Formats: sequence, C-alpha cells, structure tokens
Amino acid sequence: MGCVVEFDERQTCCGQPAFNTGYRPEARMLARRFIEIFESSGADAIVSPSGSCTAMVHHYEELFEDAAWRGRAWALAERTHELSAFLVNQLGVEDVGATFAGRLTWHDACHGLRDLGLKSEPRRLLRHVRGAELVELPNAESCCGFGGTFSVKHPEISVAMLDEKVEAIERAGVDAVVSGDASCLMQIGGRLSRRGSAVRVMHLADILAATA
Amino acid sequence: MTFDRDARAALNDPQLRGALRQATTLFGERRRAAIASVADWEGARDRARAIKDETLLHLDRYLEQFTANADRTGARIHWARDAAEACEIIGRIAEERGARTIVKSKSMASEEIHLNAALARRGIEPIETDLGEYIIQLAGETPSHIVAPAIHKTRGQIAALFAEKLGIAPSDDAEALTAAARQALRRRFAEADLGISGVNFAVAETGTILILENEGNARLTTSLPRTHIALMGIEKVIPRFADLEVFLQLLPRSGTGQVLTAYQSLLTGVKRRPEDEGPEQLHIVLLDNGRSRMLAAPVTRQSLACIRCGACLNACPVYRQIGGHAYGSVYAGPIGAVLTPQLIGLERAAHLPYASSLCGACRDVCPVKIDIPALLLHLRAEVIERHAGKQRLLERLAFRSYAAVMARPRLYEWVMGIARLLRITPPLPAWTKWRDLRPLAPRSFRDEWRADAVDEKRSLYDVTHNR
Amino acid sequence: MTSPIIADPARDQILRSIRENLATSAPLDAMTHARRDHPPLVARAPSPEPRDPVQRFTTQLEAVGAQWTLVRGEAEAARALRRILADVGAKRVAGSDAPLVRRLLPESLTGLTRDELFTCDAGVTSAQWGIAETGTLVLESARERSRLASLVPPIHVALLSTRCICDSLGDALARVDPASHAITLITGPSRTSDIELTLVVGVHGPQTVHILLLEEE
Repeated sequence: MGCVVEFDERQTCCGQPAFNTGYRPEARMLARRFIEIFESSGADAIVSPSGSCTAMVHHYEELFEDAAWRGRAWALAERTHELSAFLVNQLGVEDVGATFAGRLTWHDACHGLRDLGLKSEPRRLLRHVRGAELVELPNAESCCGFGGTFSVKHPEISVAMLDEKVEAIERAGVDAVVSGDASCLMQIGGRLSRRGSAVRVMHLADILAATA
Repeated sequence: MTFDRDARAALNDPQLRGALRQATTLFGERRRAAIASVADWEGARDRARAIKDETLLHLDRYLEQFTANADRTGARIHWARDAAEACEIIGRIAEERGARTIVKSKSMASEEIHLNAALARRGIEPIETDLGEYIIQLAGETPSHIVAPAIHKTRGQIAALFAEKLGIAPSDDAEALTAAARQALRRRFAEADLGISGVNFAVAETGTILILENEGNARLTTSLPRTHIALMGIEKVIPRFADLEVFLQLLPRSGTGQVLTAYQSLLTGVKRRPEDEGPEQLHIVLLDNGRSRMLAAPVTRQSLACIRCGACLNACPVYRQIGGHAYGSVYAGPIGAVLTPQLIGLERAAHLPYASSLCGACRDVCPVKIDIPALLLHLRAEVIERHAGKQRLLERLAFRSYAAVMARPRLYEWVMGIARLLRITPPLPAWTKWRDLRPLAPRSFRDEWRADAVDEKRSLYDVTHNR
Repeated sequence: MTSPIIADPARDQILRSIRENLATSAPLDAMTHARRDHPPLVARAPSPEPRDPVQRFTTQLEAVGAQWTLVRGEAEAARALRRILADVGAKRVAGSDAPLVRRLLPESLTGLTRDELFTCDAGVTSAQWGIAETGTLVLESARERSRLASLVPPIHVALLSTRCICDSLGDALARVDPASHAITLITGPSRTSDIELTLVVGVHGPQTVHILLLEEE
C-alpha cells in the first residue's frame, strides 16, 4: 500500500491498565512518555492494532491540567488511528488482497465500537477477504467481559458475560472469531479453548495478512 | 464483601438470571422500537442534557423559583439536608395530620432515605401501592430494578406470597394475581388519609410537580387522601413548563419503550376551592442528602442529570448477569455504581465503581447522555488517591512495578524475555480457573522486527506464527 | 395561601452548599460547551401517517388500547353514550360536573362520597384536549371536576370534541393553564408488567377507556 512503516523501539505501554484502575499518576507518566516518543518520530500517522490503546491515546488530554500538555495530547491523538480506521478512512483501502478460506465472525471490541465509532470499517475489510464468509453474531456488540482488571476482580461475572458471547459464537458455526483488540481475543480465546472448541481467535491483522 | 457474595448468589440463581435476561432483552428491544418514532432522537437527547446542564449550573436560583411558585399556589415547602431530616419531616406531618392509613406510590428517593423503616419506628406503616413495590413489601425484600422492582420473582413465588398474605387461592394467572392486589389495595385507597409520592419533574416556572405512572396508583395516592406529601431530590427541578415535552419524549421510551406511560399528573399547589377534588394540603419535601456536593465538578455534576429511566440497567451486560440486589442500594446498575458512592461516601462503596467492564453501553442509551464510564474512571481515581487502604497494598505495588518497568524499555524487554524463555504465565487463578492462558510466543515482535524479517516476501501472519 | 417567611436553617444550608459547590466547579467548567438554542422538537413517525388529526388520534387510541366512537351532534352522542354504558352493564355511573355530561346523562351521579365513588361501575367525564401524536386525553381541573370520575370506576368514558384535538404533546402543554391544580394526561387504560413482564390491563386505574368523539354539526 505504499506506506513506510517504522517501529520505535522505545515504546512500551500506553498506560491504559493504570488509568482504568484509577492509578492516574502512573498513567500520566506513561502518557507523557508516549507523547514525547511519538512526537519525535515525525510520522504522518501512528497506527495501533488495538482499539482500546487508540482510545486511551484519544483520552490523554483528560490526564493533564496543564494547557501545553493538553495541546500536545490533542495533537498526537489527531494522528493516532486504529488499524481498520486507518486502512478504510485514511487510506481509502478496503481490499488488502487477503485470502482466507472459512467462516468468520467479528466481535466488536467495546472501545473501538463506542469510543472510536468503528462498526463498518472492520466489516468492510473482512468482506473483501477472498474465500472468507462473514457471519454476523446476534450479540456482536456485547462486551466480552474482559474490562481489564475487571476480568480478575470479578471473574465470575466476567465469565458469565463471556459465556453469552462464546455460546453465540459456537451456535454461529464459524471457524474463527476476529476482533481488533488482543485483550478480547485473550478472553474469548481462553474460554473457547477451555471449552474444547475448535473455533480459533484471530486478530484483524492476522486475517488481513493471510495469503493462503 | 457483600457485592461479591450477592453477585455470586445471583449468578447461581438460574431463575433470576433467566428473568434478568428476559427483562433486559425485552426492554432493550422495546426501547429501540420506540425511539424510531422520534425524528431527531439525538437532538432530543442533546436538548434535554442542555436543559439539565443549564438548571444544574444555577440550581439555587431554579430551586428558589420553584419553591416560590409552589408556595404561591398553596403547597408547603420543606427542605431536608439529609435522610434523617427528611424522615423526621414526613413523620411529623403524618402525626400532625393524624394519619392512620397511609398509601405510597413509587418513590426511589423514599427508599434512598429508608422512609418506611423510619416511619415504622414511629408506629406508622405506609402501604406500597405500586404493584411491584407492593409485592416486595409483602415479601420484605428490596427492589432489584428501577422500573420493574419485582422482576426477580416468578409468578409462582408471587402466587405463594399472595396466598399467604392475602389469603387468596394460589393462582398462576398474572391477571388473577393483579386483580387480587387491586382488590386488597382498593380498600386501603378508600380509607387513606395521607398519600406519599415521588416526583419525576418539578417545574420552576410554575411550581408544578409531574408524576408519571402506568397503574393509576399514583393518581389515587395524590388525589384521594386529604394530605399529600411529595418527596423530591433537589435535582428534579427543570426551568420551564414547556421543557416537560422533551423529557416526556425521552423517559417513557428509554425506560419501558412506551411512547407515553398511561398517566401523567401535573400538580400545581392545592385546590383553589374547597369543593374541588384533591388534597387539602400538599407538602413538598426537597431532599439534598449529598446531591449538592456533586455540583463541585463537571464530571460529577452530570450524575444529577439522571431522570431515573432505567435504560442503563437494561443495557448493562454486568447488570444483566447479577441484577440489582448486589449493588446494595436502591440505585442499581450503571447509575447506581456512580450515584451510591457519591451519596453514601466513597469509603463505604469503594468497590462499586469497579463493578463494570467500562463497555460504555450505558452511555449509548442514556437519554441525557451521562458519560457513566468517565464518571466510573473519575471515582476509581478518587478511590486510589484517597481511599486505597490496606486491601490495595499489593495492587499499588503491582502498578508501581508495572510503571517502573514500562518506563524502561530495555528492562521491559528483559522481563518479557525471561517470561518468554521460561514460558511463564502469570499466576492468576482468577483467570485460569475458567480460561486458558497461552504462554508468550518464543520470539517477540521486536525480535522479528530487528531481524528485519518483516518484508514483502513474508507476511506478518507467517512471521508471527513462525511459518 | 402562602406560608409566612420564617428562617429555615435547612433551606439556607442547602442553598449555601449548592452555591459553594458550584463555585468550586467554575474553573473546571472552562471546557464545557456553550448553551445552544435547539430547534423545537419534531416528533414524527417515519411511516406515512394520515394527516387528518382525528384519524391520527384514533389510530393512536387503538395502539394504546383505548376504544373510541365517532358521533355527530349531541343527540347521537347521548344515544351512543347510553349504548356504551349498557354494553358494559354499568348501573351506577358517576358523572363529572361538565355541562355536556349533565346534558347527555342527567342521571349520572355527582357529589358522591369517596366510598360511593368506589361502588360505581363507570365514570363519565369530558376531556379538554386530545393529543393526536400519542392518543392522549388531557383533563384540566380548573375547567371540570373530573379527576376522580376518570380514575376510580373501572370504566371511563370521555367526551371529546374533535375540534379540541391538538397535534403534539408540546401543543397541549402550550394550551393548558397551569393554574389548574391538577392536569391529568391519560393514554389508554391502566396497566402493569410487574409480574414476570406479563402485560395486565386494568390495575388501579380504569381497565377500559372509551372516547366518545363529537363532531360538531
């Protein structure tokens, strides 16, 4: 697609786990670090394969009272995109030339769906994958129950929510469930394998990069 | 902690879970169908939120206007700083008016202040007349849902309850059960000398209070007895009579999927002539009980925009699994998770802001666009800043270590490298009891990146799966 | 009747708390959006609806479970009213003090005690307005004593002139006089879904609402 891809090895974590659990000073420190690193790169766009990380960057502004940092956070957020949003909305690409034989279904990760408004973008990309049949879950938009530390602070509730998702996936008779957030994939994949299911979990990037 | 215990009890109750699933699904579907008949639903939400924002920013002024107009039309105004004061005021009025039979229509504020218990201590027992509230009063329970308080009870359970308390033959038929309740309550309405109600909206411009309902018990409660006491949170006031329209467009659709509930009573003061129909005295009790404190910041002030429709409960995937009782207060679900800590103190309810996966479904359906996830995050930050306590010592350490590692990329790579080498997965039984956890891939993305293995000839998929 | 102005420490404290907390918030409010003037709400069903307000009104009445009969002139109205009451076997009928009700049904009972009202089979009142958008009746206490006759008996018959059907809720709110101590909006019969979400019609309020629509001749 003609993009020059860089990977800045100084990056670590966007700070979301700290922010979501209420540890704002830690989150703020990591936010500053993130902003400084990616400002210095001079790239036109920062692309993330995670809706929740992208959403976190878009919320960086709220972490600062200082007007200068708020401005820097806002400016960086403008250049930060989730993968499917970048491909479809920035590059105008829906067909990346991928091939995958099988039935797929998409799980709408909460931050991507509700914070970033991503609904059609991943589906448009998946529909152009040759050989793939895209099936819609009746509860595609329902939370999988991960929610960061929620998944271990309230595991039974987390798994109750998860099972509604997983049961729908099993009923849909698909080969793989695809999503844009690794945390959802860990949650859903972890339960599917525990239940002995043959259904795989794949990240959107996995599918789009598949050529066989 | 009772939340975990109650949540677990709910999760292990298949009948409750089925009822919750059915109720939340049904209300959600009806809501979606109902909002389709409003040409500009988003505009209505924005407009309602703007009215609420305007009101809250000048709440003192609008409350003064409301009380002046209510007073002018013959209502008696009482101000209650907290629950105890409100219960005292209401108990005193009941005694002064010599009330023997007291009927009550649905009021969440009255449950918030534990009014029935306070009145019972004075030897006064109001009778709940809303069918769902009547059922749980007979059962000695608390409501599990804002709009459908007895949703957790089966027909069979209600039949057994009525057979025991009302002496009727047990019947599975909802109509027969309703008729039995109606008959029992009609006798009380016929003798009631005092009615206690809630208030959905209070209009500053005219001194009017508005009460919405479907059953007709609020109309009976507020028109038959010679004394009416209306209890309202101070956030219920809206500026203008015409503002009622947008809220009546939003509330019934959001809560139950109805275009309008069966009845709206708009009450302004007391009757002008003695021969008119209605109470001789109307007492309006304005309740603070922690609400004024929420005005201190924009993020918390929006809590006061809530119109108690219940839409967030119906949309919440957590509430759907555990119901209302686990939240430990009359306010359950997403709004409960943010209101209760603010009303009773974060130190007593520090766990509630964490009872959420932050999915945001509540924010999508809130008719006044309360950003509940932002509020949850704000309250979590407050908990960590001020109420961390000993239980969180381990967690604090964990996040300090996490931050220290993440601030040092080489340290981060080293730690991950060790984990990769030894195929260590974090010891988290809370995870692994139900879900598998795959160890990290033998080579990291950085390893591959540095080895320059990512090029056009090998797809990223092949690389990360080591093909 | 106004109460004398006496010092109220609770009132003062609450208002002070409100003012102090708003003052605390003011610097943080720097980022909130300015108030916009919103255009008036337009609530329309997306499917083509008959424009005639009477038709819209009666369509909505049926949707909410109310019954209706259209009549022309008072003579026809009187006959229809008796027929409706006879059909439901109503013997004791409470009537409001509206002149129309007194004309059409002079034998309807007025000045009833509360206990007597509870023994009535039906209540007949007029309605000041109808709302086409929602199938709603509007009763104003300043214009008629209809509050209890429209509530206590299990059947409510409401007389409404077709000229008094307004378009929307907003219209109705603009037309009523808030000087009425009680304005009641009635949309269909009373109902509940509190038992296992099963809809039951007829709880504390009337089980049957019948609107007698009068076209003036």
